[in-house]
Amino acid sequence: MSTASEHPENSMAATNSDNGGAHTNVTVVGREPVALESAVRRPLPDWLKPGNQPGRGGYAASMLASCRHALVTLTRRKRLALAAFIAFLPVLIPLALAFLSTSRFAESGNEVFVRLVEELHINVFAPLLALFFAGMLVAEDIETRTMPYILTRPIPRSAWVAGRFCAFMIVAATILLTSAALTFAAASIHANLTLTNVVDLSLLLHYFGVMIAALLAYGGVAVFLGAFTKRPIVYGVILLYGWQSLATQIPGLVDFFTIKKYTDALLPVMATQRHVAEIQTALGTFQREVFQVSAIRAMVALLLITTISLTATILAVSRREYAADRTAGS
Amino acid sequence: MTAIIQAQALSKWFGEVVAVNNLDLTIEENIVGLLGPNGAGKSTFIKLALGLYKPSRGTVRVLGSEPRNNLAVLRRIGYCPETDDFFENATGFEFVYYLNLYWGMGARQARVAAQQACELTRMTERMHDPIETYSKGMRQRIKIAQALAACPELLFLDEPMNGLDPRGRDEMYALIQTLAKAGMTVVVSSHILYEIERITDSVALMFKGSLLAQGRVRDIRNLIDAHPHAIRVQTNAPRQAAAPFIALPAVTSVDFDESGFVMRTRDANACYDMLNDMMARGTNSINAIECADDSLQSVFDYLTR
Repeated sequence: MSTASEHPENSMAATNSDNGGAHTNVTVVGREPVALESAVRRPLPDWLKPGNQPGRGGYAASMLASCRHALVTLTRRKRLALAAFIAFLPVLIPLALAFLSTSRFAESGNEVFVRLVEELHINVFAPLLALFFAGMLVAEDIETRTMPYILTRPIPRSAWVAGRFCAFMIVAATILLTSAALTFAAASIHANLTLTNVVDLSLLLHYFGVMIAALLAYGGVAVFLGAFTKRPIVYGVILLYGWQSLATQIPGLVDFFTIKKYTDALLPVMATQRHVAEIQTALGTFQREVFQVSAIRAMVALLLITTISLTATILAVSRREYAADRTAGS
Repeated sequence: MTAIIQAQALSKWFGEVVAVNNLDLTIEENIVGLLGPNGAGKSTFIKLALGLYKPSRGTVRVLGSEPRNNLAVLRRIGYCPETDDFFENATGFEFVYYLNLYWGMGARQARVAAQQACELTRMTERMHDPIETYSKGMRQRIKIAQALAACPELLFLDEPMNGLDPRGRDEMYALIQTLAKAGMTVVVSSHILYEIERITDSVALMFKGSLLAQGRVRDIRNLIDAHPHAIRVQTNAPRQAAAPFIALPAVTSVDFDESGFVMRTRDANACYDMLNDMMARGTNSINAIECADDSLQSVFDYLTR
């Protein structure tokens, strides 16, 4: 090693490293001498000694770690409050109808609740929450360039993705199901819906199941978009709102390539039968043949969409190079 | 000695840009400095060794295995990146804590390890403050804390001195040396020779993605000393001031410009002594002296010329 005498500018380094821990007093003009060596060279703490590495945590522990971290991150987002605010707006509609409606006929609480849950909770809010939260689960770490920290940790990529997805499901399902339950309670002030009626409550539980299935599928697609594209929200809006609306208007079997097709198939029979197979446009009314899917097949299809999306996300996280600054020499 | 990192014909390119070019490098020492100017490929090499990048060609083996998606290897590695990127809205403690969880620690163990790592890097007082309120030096220390928290066998520090104050740097030099003495292998990258020189005698010089030289700092110093140094002198009377230097055999060239002259010499110390004498005597109105070769870039320019 170069010595202090050879390189006077290195005298401090030589003193620090070569004198075996002896104290060196350095005088700074106008100040008391400082025992620099004691401040700089401290003994290595026991925990940092070789062989003190943590044991393997196992797959479940890795998933739990990812879920906990994502939960904390999601609940600190300002967009959580915004999403919750939007998702809870339907609660006001039955109340508004009760107090502000000028109709001479009593509203049916059952009908109000069903329409709100199907048209808003399942078809609007589920994709919205997926884009708000699931779309950013991986994308955020790419954007904030924290992926190198995660990818250099000994955590299975699948456990990391699955843990994050679980966190999304917990947050999104809490918001959506709470909103649906409150909407149900608000709608019960109208006729034909009571909080204690078993049939009405089973309807609510049925919709809970459909909402969870919708969140799984929409969330899976959104998390994949986040891992695979730079603008998951833009592509998500195009795919989940634009494409889905368009596909249901096009005659033929195109609507099989939408998630909505399968969530619709899970709706209660009475509700499904209300769907008209007619498309009203400025040019006139067109009839469209609708191919129904059984509830079981729809559930399988939604689970398949979720599984395929999450598998593709895991592959993307494992194979893509997310390290920041992909320019040469950076 | 067993190779801790072994790169063979390793190349990495991004589109048409070659970041690492046919690199053959073996690291066996306790502390190795990766030295090179900006754009030399140091960070890319580290990311290849961490498995963050897949080699475009060639192989890299770390602790005997290929590192990419290899959890057994990653379990033994710590990494402090160059960039200041952190989890949003996190405190320093949370940052280390969550990354500890990803290392396979239980919640309690992760908490204790985060506290210990923060203490080691003198971050205990501020560890519960949001990272966005930290200074550059504190951010650097918290990054080092997360890298050390799980006691890795191999530690990659990418430009670890960035933003540290003099005391922080001294502590970092001492810490790295102590870690190495305890058996940890530390790979430190820097574009400042002086920094690396204070930590280790073993360096690998990288330039434009290739390995330029590997060995002792003293050998590199000698190599550098064998090449002319450029000294810029600002004076109102350049020709008069330059005259005594032109007579020196060590001076290879003198270029004049409006504000003074630039001389190239193989004996920089003798020239600096003469300039000191001239200024002390006041024979010439010398306004300023600067070493035009102070950056490592110019040293590499010499070596690759």
